[in-house]
Amino acid sequence: MSSHNSDPNLDEDNLAPLSSEEAFVEERFTFNCNLNGKAISTEIPPSRRLLKVIREDLELTGTKRSCEIGRCGACMVLVDGRPVNSCLVMAYQCSGAEITTIEGLSELGLHPVQRAFLEEGGFQCGYCTPGMVISVVALLEKNPHPTQAEVEEALSGNICRCTGYGGILRAVNKAIGG
Amino acid sequence: MLLNKESSGSRWRTRPDGEGKVSGKLQYLTDMRAEGMLIGRVLRSEQAHARILSIRIEKAIEVPGVHAVITHEDVPGLNGFGIALPHQPVFCSDRVRYTGDAIAAVAAETDEIAEYALSLIEVDYELLPLLENPEEAMKKDAILLHAEGNVLHHTEYRKGEPETVFTDCCHVVEESYYTPRQMHTYMETEGGLFIPEDNGRLTVYSATQHGLMDRLQLSRILDIPQEDIRVISSPIGGSFGGKDELNVQPYGALLALRTLRPVRLHNSRAESVRAGLKRHPMKITMKTGCDPEGIIRAHQVRIISDTGAYATLGAEVLNFATEHVMGPYIIDHVDVKGFAVYTNNGVSGEFRGFGGNQAIFALEGQIDRLAERLQIDPWEMRRRNLRKYGDLGPLGQEIAQTDGAFQVWEALAGSPLMTEAASTDSDSGVVEPWIVTGTGAAIAMHGAGLGYGIPDPAGGRLSLTLEGKIEAVFGYEEFGQGLIATMEQMLIEQFGLAAEDLSIVIGDTDVVPDSGSSTASRSTSMMWMALKRLRPDFTARVLQAAAMIKPELDNYEMKLGPGGIWLKDGGLLLTYKDLAQRISEPIVCNTKFTYPTTPFKRVGAHFLYTYSAIAVRVEVNLLTGRVRVLDQYHAVAAGPVANPQGYLGQIEGGSSMAVGFTLSEDAVMSGGSYVTKNLDTYLVPTIADMNGSIQVQPIEDLPDHDTYGPRGIGEVGSVNLAPAVASAIFQAVGKRVTKLPIDPEWLQSTPFIPQKVVNIHVEP
Repeated sequence: MSSHNSDPNLDEDNLAPLSSEEAFVEERFTFNCNLNGKAISTEIPPSRRLLKVIREDLELTGTKRSCEIGRCGACMVLVDGRPVNSCLVMAYQCSGAEITTIEGLSELGLHPVQRAFLEEGGFQCGYCTPGMVISVVALLEKNPHPTQAEVEEALSGNICRCTGYGGILRAVNKAIGG
Repeated sequence: MLLNKESSGSRWRTRPDGEGKVSGKLQYLTDMRAEGMLIGRVLRSEQAHARILSIRIEKAIEVPGVHAVITHEDVPGLNGFGIALPHQPVFCSDRVRYTGDAIAAVAAETDEIAEYALSLIEVDYELLPLLENPEEAMKKDAILLHAEGNVLHHTEYRKGEPETVFTDCCHVVEESYYTPRQMHTYMETEGGLFIPEDNGRLTVYSATQHGLMDRLQLSRILDIPQEDIRVISSPIGGSFGGKDELNVQPYGALLALRTLRPVRLHNSRAESVRAGLKRHPMKITMKTGCDPEGIIRAHQVRIISDTGAYATLGAEVLNFATEHVMGPYIIDHVDVKGFAVYTNNGVSGEFRGFGGNQAIFALEGQIDRLAERLQIDPWEMRRRNLRKYGDLGPLGQEIAQTDGAFQVWEALAGSPLMTEAASTDSDSGVVEPWIVTGTGAAIAMHGAGLGYGIPDPAGGRLSLTLEGKIEAVFGYEEFGQGLIATMEQMLIEQFGLAAEDLSIVIGDTDVVPDSGSSTASRSTSMMWMALKRLRPDFTARVLQAAAMIKPELDNYEMKLGPGGIWLKDGGLLLTYKDLAQRISEPIVCNTKFTYPTTPFKRVGAHFLYTYSAIAVRVEVNLLTGRVRVLDQYHAVAAGPVANPQGYLGQIEGGSSMAVGFTLSEDAVMSGGSYVTKNLDTYLVPTIADMNGSIQVQPIEDLPDHDTYGPRGIGEVGSVNLAPAVASAIFQAVGKRVTKLPIDPEWLQSTPFIPQKVVNIHVEP
C-alpha cells in the first residue's frame, strides 16, 4: 500500500505538490511593463510566469504553451528585443521591460517575416508559428544577413513538428532576401 | 518535375487559414475561455499496475474554490472509452493498468487550487505484478491484464509452403527488428473548453480527428443523446493520429455537467506524455529466402506489438502491419503471424503510418541483407521482386491497379542521389577522416482508408447560401495538414470559383455530415470524390435557378465561374449574390458514399495505395556515433497533386518525423513510468537536424480508367525513411541497423588507434 504523496510520477514539473499556502497565496505586486507598445500595470503574484501573465491575465493567446520547460519555443516573446521563453521567466523579472508578443508584430499589418511565412508555407498547424516568427524577428533585427548556420543556431530552440522546417527555412531565406 | 513553389506556379496558393496562424490571431480550442470558467485537472494513477483498495476525496472537496471532485461513481453512463473497443476506464474503480489511468478529476477556480486539491486525494493501492514486456505478457503464467487475455489481437496470413521452400533457397536471412515508442509530440497538448449550455446541451470545444466519433463516445459516457452534444474540433495544433482517441473530453464533459459551469482543461506536456498515445513499439522477426537470381521465394514474419494497457486501435494497427510486411514484393510463400499484446506500458495507438513504419523498416532491411549475400545492388534486388500492374495486393486482394511501384522505383533510380551514389560514396570529399558518408534507399507501398470490413463513410454538402456564398460542409478536421486549403483549391480548380465565393465549414457536429474520420490518408481522396459527385447536380441546379430568375438566360450556355454565373464563352451574367437574393431557399446538394474497398473479404485489407521510394545520403561521425541525414529524394506516386504546398509540406514534415523515429525519438519507459517526461529528454528533430535538402518528385499519372483521383500523402512521407537511412549507414560503415532509434554508441569507433611508442630501439 502506498499513499498518493509518494507518487514518483507526480514530479511532472519536478515540483512537489503545492502547499495550501501556495495554492491560496494572496501576496501581489504591481507588475509594470511595456507590452506591444502599451504601458501595462497589473496586480499579480510575484512568481507568476510571464507566459501565464500574457495568456491568462492579458488574454493574449498568440503566445503558446507547450513544453513549459524552455525546450520548444512556442511561448517565445521579445523582452527588450531579445527572444525569451516566457515559460521560463517570472513576471517580476520583466518589470519595466519592453515586451513584444506575436500580436505586437502585426498591429500595422503583417510584419515582413510573417508575410514570408505566409507566402512560403512556413507553417502547418500553426501552433509553433508565433514563437518561430518571434525568433526569426529577433535574429534578423540583430543580424539582417545571417548565415545558414546562424539561422539554425537562432531557431534551434523552436520546435516545429509539422513542417520538417523546409517551409520555415524558405520563409527565413525570403525574409532575409527581401 | 520536382515539386516546389516555382514549379507550381499559380497553383502554389496562400492558405486561407494562414494569416490567422502567422499573426497569432487564430484561436485554438485551448486558447478559449468563458465567463465563470473553472479549471479541470485529472488525477492519474501513481502505479502502473495495482488494485485500488480505496479512494478518499473528502479532503479535496473541502478545499475552498473546489467545485467538484469526481470519480468512477460519477460516471452516469458507460465508464469506458475506445474507438474500437470502449474498455479504457474513464475513471478506474478497482484496478489501474498504467500510470496514465485516471482516478479522479477536479474542477476548481484556479490551476493552483485544482493542483492542491489533487494532492489531497488519497488512493490506496495493492501492487500487482508489472508486465513491461509483451513477450512476458504472452506467457501462460502471466497475470491477465484483461479478462479476455493479454493478447488483444492475433493476425495470420499464409500462402504456399514457406517452411519447405526455405530449404531450397540459396540464401536465407533472419533478423529481429525493434522500433521505438514514438510520441506524436503535437505542439498543442490535449485540452479544450466544455460549456454546459442554457438549453441543456453540452458544447465541447476540443481537438479530435473525428468529431462525430467523439460525440458518440461522449454520449455513451454521459448517458445523454448524441444530439445533446455539440463537438467543435478545429483548428487543431497538430495531431498525427494522437488526438484521434478521446483524451481530456470525458473529464471536461463530466465536470462541466456536474458544476454547470464552463470547464477548461489543458494538459501539461508531462501529463500529455504520461496519458497520451504513442506509436506501437514492435519487435518484428523475419526470415526471408531467395534463389540465386535474387527472387524472394519465402518470407516468414513474427510481429510482437506492445499495445500497452488498453486497445484503442491496437488491433487495426496490427492488421496494417501484417499487410505491410510483404510490401510491394511478389512472394509466393509467406507465413505471417502477429500479436498485439497488452502490457502495463503507456497506451499505444494510431500514429501516422499506422504500423507501416515498423513493418517497412524490417522488410526493407531483409531485402538489403539478401542483396548483400547475393552481391547485387539492393535497388536492383527490389526491381526483380517488385509488383507489376495487375498483380494482386499484399494479402492477395484486388486493389486499384496502378504502375506506382515501378514508377517510383524508376524515378528514384534516375535521381541525382542514386546516380551520384555509385561514383562518389567511396570518396566523400569530406576533410575530417572520422566523417563517412553513405547512400541508401527504400521503397514502400502504403494503404489508405480504413480497409475492408470497417465502416468508412464519406460524404459532404455543397450549397448556394442565401448570402450568396458557395458553402462546402464536410465532417473533416484541420490539424495543420492543409485540408481547408486543399478543399478551397479543389473548388477553385474544379468548379472555377473564386476564393471569395467560398465558405468552408468543418469541425462542428451540429452542421457537418458524416464524412468519416480525418485519418488513414483518406480526407483528400474523399473530398475529391465528393466534389466530383456533387459537381454535375450542383452546377445544374444553380444554372437552373439562374434561368428561372432570368428566363432570357435560358438560351445561353452557362457555367459557374468566379463571382457568379458566366456565359460559357463570355462574360459574367449573374453574381451569386444576386442569384441568392432571388431564391427563397438555399440550393443544397448532398452526397454520401463510402471509401472504395477491395471486394476481398479480409478485415482491414486495403484497396487504394500510395507508393514511395526514398533515397538518402547520410553522414556518420565515427567519433560521436551521430548520424546526419544530408540529402533526401522522395519519389511519390499518389495521383494528381491536389495542393502543391500541402503535398510538399506533408512529405517534408513526414520525413522529419521519420528522422526522429530513426535517430532520436523514444519515449522510454521503466517500471511502467515514462523516463522521458518532456522535450528535454524526448528529442524531436530541430531545424539543425533537418538542414539537408529534400527533393520531392510527385508522379501524377494514373491509368486512364482510374476514377479515384488523388491519393492521400499524409503518411507516406514518414514510412520508408528509416530503412533508407539504415541502408545508407551500412554503406558508410558496414554495420546493419536492427534497432531504432539508432544508438550513437553502437556506431562509435576509434578511428585512430594510438600506437604506444615502446621498444623503438630494440636490437634486431
